[in-house]
Amino acid sequence: MEIIHQLIELFPYAILGSILAGIICAFLGIFVVSQRVVFLGASLTQVSVAGVAFSFLHLINLESFLTDVFKIDIEHNAFFHNFEPAFFSLTFAVICVLIFSQTYRQKYITQDGILGIIFVISIALRIIFIQKSPVAEVSEIESILKGDILFIGQTQFFTLLGVTILTVSVFVIFQKQLKFVTFDPETAMAHGMNSRFWLLIFYIIVGTGISLTTRFVGDVFAFAFLIIPSSIGILIGRKISQVFIIAVLVGAIIPPISLYFAFVFDFSSGPTAVVLAFILFIITYIGKKILA
Amino acid sequence: MKFLDNELIKFSGVSIGYGKKSILENINFSILENDFIGIVGPNGSGKTTLLKTLLGNLRPLSGETTRDKVQFGYVPQRDVVQPLLPYSVYDVVMMGRYSLMGKLSKPHKEDEEIVNACLAHVGIEDLKNHRYNSLSGGQRQRTLIARALAVQPKILILDEPTNGMDTPSHYSLLELISQLHDESNLTVLIVSHLLTDVANIVKRLMLLEKNHFQIGNIDEILSEDNLKKTYSSDFSVSKINGEYLISSKKKV
Repeated sequence: MEIIHQLIELFPYAILGSILAGIICAFLGIFVVSQRVVFLGASLTQVSVAGVAFSFLHLINLESFLTDVFKIDIEHNAFFHNFEPAFFSLTFAVICVLIFSQTYRQKYITQDGILGIIFVISIALRIIFIQKSPVAEVSEIESILKGDILFIGQTQFFTLLGVTILTVSVFVIFQKQLKFVTFDPETAMAHGMNSRFWLLIFYIIVGTGISLTTRFVGDVFAFAFLIIPSSIGILIGRKISQVFIIAVLVGAIIPPISLYFAFVFDFSSGPTAVVLAFILFIITYIGKKILA
Repeated sequence: MKFLDNELIKFSGVSIGYGKKSILENINFSILENDFIGIVGPNGSGKTTLLKTLLGNLRPLSGETTRDKVQFGYVPQRDVVQPLLPYSVYDVVMMGRYSLMGKLSKPHKEDEEIVNACLAHVGIEDLKNHRYNSLSGGQRQRTLIARALAVQPKILILDEPTNGMDTPSHYSLLELISQLHDESNLTVLIVSHLLTDVANIVKRLMLLEKNHFQIGNIDEILSEDNLKKTYSSDFSVSKINGEYLISSKKKV
């Protein structure tokens, strides 16, 4: 009990932020997994990390520009002080989904092939960007790039809250369109719905959600929570609403529990969350097999 | 271009294909009210490309297409729709109403009534709350037809509807499609590679092969010469008890 009190006292935003990151990934993951574009999730996490690495090159100094425009003391403004990595992470992710959404125009390479190319080129660029960064040591930047649940502060928490609200709002407001185009884009188009436009909106929301959660909690956590909670939801949910409830609950509950274990056993919090989610997945899978 | 009263769609000198590569050139045909057309041809002959162009999802490379604000009800190939999510049959059929609702509006009572009527029309009202991904092939196809009917279409287009079905489901589905045409005065276009099936239920046949296009009455199109030209193989065409029978000519 004492440890829990300590955790709440020391890392209130980390606990709340990790819950939000888990919810965002689990929610988007339902669509990513059911659309069979899991590799898009993997590629987006790497693209986002490459975007953050790009910000360390300081080729485009957005923070100085914003300081001049808004007359802000950037050192004492948490939002603008961390603006550049999140901005480039998001920009890279949006460019990636824009490219991906246009892949239907060509028939030479499969979507998987294109995502594979994006995946490896992101990793290669990340390495080059870090090596050429003028600001810090490679190992130091690598650890920043990996993100850490414990480093979620007030600004990161509110950013994640904004992303959660945006994601859920878009999916609730345009549920008809997004449901139809993710289920059967060909027929949606034949029935007069602009499938290409709605799929683009879908991919942009997925790109935004993944890039910002990757920035704050790391690529391993983001990718794992895209796949595992939604897979658990799909395994045991008998109705659409049940799939969403189960996936979001798993996404929300595992991260704070993993923070507890990480704190007690001195583990890294992100990987602990992934392992816990995996254990729950295995239990669910075996349970489903036995009951079936 | 003259557009007759009972014409729903007219293609005049149309070339179809992707990019700059044309698959079929200088196509001319009309789809009339209460028409029942079968589109047949070997793989790669342009059936899917023609469908996409008809639906307006693909622009013709040249020529003129005219359509009179036609609402399509589309039934894709069953394999295209393989959802992992447990959508109910009712959910799937309701999707047919989505394109007719306002962007932000929710289904009304009228939409629910139409969906229920469509489920009853194709004989699956008892499956309403079942999961689509737990249904048999025939039941899935009926669900997709109900969804297409929920659009209240002028033209119903079915892409290979009997593909991979067992014999009873196969024939009961063909019977349902004929029934929809006869009872609801629905214009129906059916794409199939099973020539015999199509020939025995439709009014007109569209025969496609690479850069060759023919449309006409069944007797006119279903000649042994035509089939040889299209499929590069010898076939015999006979009519027994009013039903066409197409079989391969064995070489002795």
